[in-house]
Amino acid sequence: MRIKVDLELCRDHGQCVIAAPQVFRFDGNQKLVWVVEPDHSLRGAVEEAADVCPEQAITIEED
Amino acid sequence: MNPSMSPETNDSAAGPGVAYLNLSDPSFSVRAPEVMAAREASWYARTPYGIAVLRYEEVRKLLFDLRLRQGSYAWPVLNGVGGSFARWWMRMLLSREGADHARLRRLANPAFSPRLVTGLKPKFAALAHELIDGFARQGRCEFVSQFCEPYAARVICVLLGLPQARWHEFAQIAADMGLALGVRFSQELACIDRATDRLFDYARELIAERRALDLGDDFLSLLIRANRESEETLSEQELYDMVVLAIFGGIDTTRNQLGLAMDVFVQHPAQWERLAREPQLARAAVEEVMRVRPTVTWVTREATEDFVFQDLAIRKGTTLHMLSQSACADPRAFSDAAGAAFDIGAERKPHFGFGGGAHHCLGHFIARGDMTEALAILAARLTAPQYEDTPAFLPDSGNTGAIRLPIRFQARA
Repeated sequence: MRIKVDLELCRDHGQCVIAAPQVFRFDGNQKLVWVVEPDHSLRGAVEEAADVCPEQAITIEED
Repeated sequence: MNPSMSPETNDSAAGPGVAYLNLSDPSFSVRAPEVMAAREASWYARTPYGIAVLRYEEVRKLLFDLRLRQGSYAWPVLNGVGGSFARWWMRMLLSREGADHARLRRLANPAFSPRLVTGLKPKFAALAHELIDGFARQGRCEFVSQFCEPYAARVICVLLGLPQARWHEFAQIAADMGLALGVRFSQELACIDRATDRLFDYARELIAERRALDLGDDFLSLLIRANRESEETLSEQELYDMVVLAIFGGIDTTRNQLGLAMDVFVQHPAQWERLAREPQLARAAVEEVMRVRPTVTWVTREATEDFVFQDLAIRKGTTLHMLSQSACADPRAFSDAAGAAFDIGAERKPHFGFGGGAHHCLGHFIARGDMTEALAILAARLTAPQYEDTPAFLPDSGNTGAIRLPIRFQARA
């Protein structure tokens, strides 16, 4: 799976960071960074992250 | 309250244009001319405790600034109160940070998923129609008790699997507890705490009943399972705190926001008629109502470190009130042809009615869904309502809302 974040929609809430901290985090400049191709064992957490994003900015693309 | 007692901003940085707004005054209004004047004088104002941020861009930046934590945990202490509500308030989700907060938030998230909304919409619609059937032909109603309150309470009953027959009891409890989020917290303490105690009694009864049955996929079952797994996953106290939060939080805000929506539309009948002609604007109408007349008139943050923001040195521990109401009327952010006037068809920057960041409103997908259905159906069934008598509102600060909205209208054929 590949994680896509629409940065036009993203408002840096960080709900994804709470739902899937192994995949999403804020860097030193408070910018969202993420693992583009996380391990499939993290699928559940990634789906949660996409679900909870208040702006629905996250999409999961299948390989 | 003596401003010098709380960690404050650097006094020498306060410019000559910086106003003082007394947020603690029972007659303070977030919509008063003094607030707009303060916003034009500077991006912030001083208050009895901390600063108020008044302009859109500054609120936007600070609301998401990771050097600030949620500040509302301090609300009971600021009001000089203890008691059942205060203790619950300082324990529950909104007052937690870091790993604890994340653990609780992850547990609660599935119960408020956007994926639930599609399935719930027909139930929201049926409920709205049922309530409107109760007053449409009379050509008048008291909109809070006959729509906002039953709608908000029964939506939560549906969402959480509570008996709908008890909606009025839950609505009354939520209204009494809601007094804690306004300027009359200490004056209304006995009433607030009685309601809180009743809700905890109910939560315990509810969980005991559910534990005796086979668990499903519903919110209560998920919480019970987590608690069964271990006290570290979800403690007994956290379980009850979460149930109380879901019931109180879900009812009070939605009831208030729907009432405020009606007040806005009473002032703008042409917008109501536009919504009736173009029901696909209902979601935009919800957003635009929340921009001009949010129930949550300010969101509180607290600095977790010293830092400099624009021309101001902010000391660790400083409280910052994000005055969403003021910021969302800021002409700097709403300066196109539509201006800042209420217009459900205008393209808008996002409002702050659900807060933002780690503590962004948990129930917002549900709230947006149920308010969208309500507004679309109300506009479809009733002509533009007008006041038949004087409406009554909570104080225009903290969490506000309508208490009485005596309206008249005609039922559309």
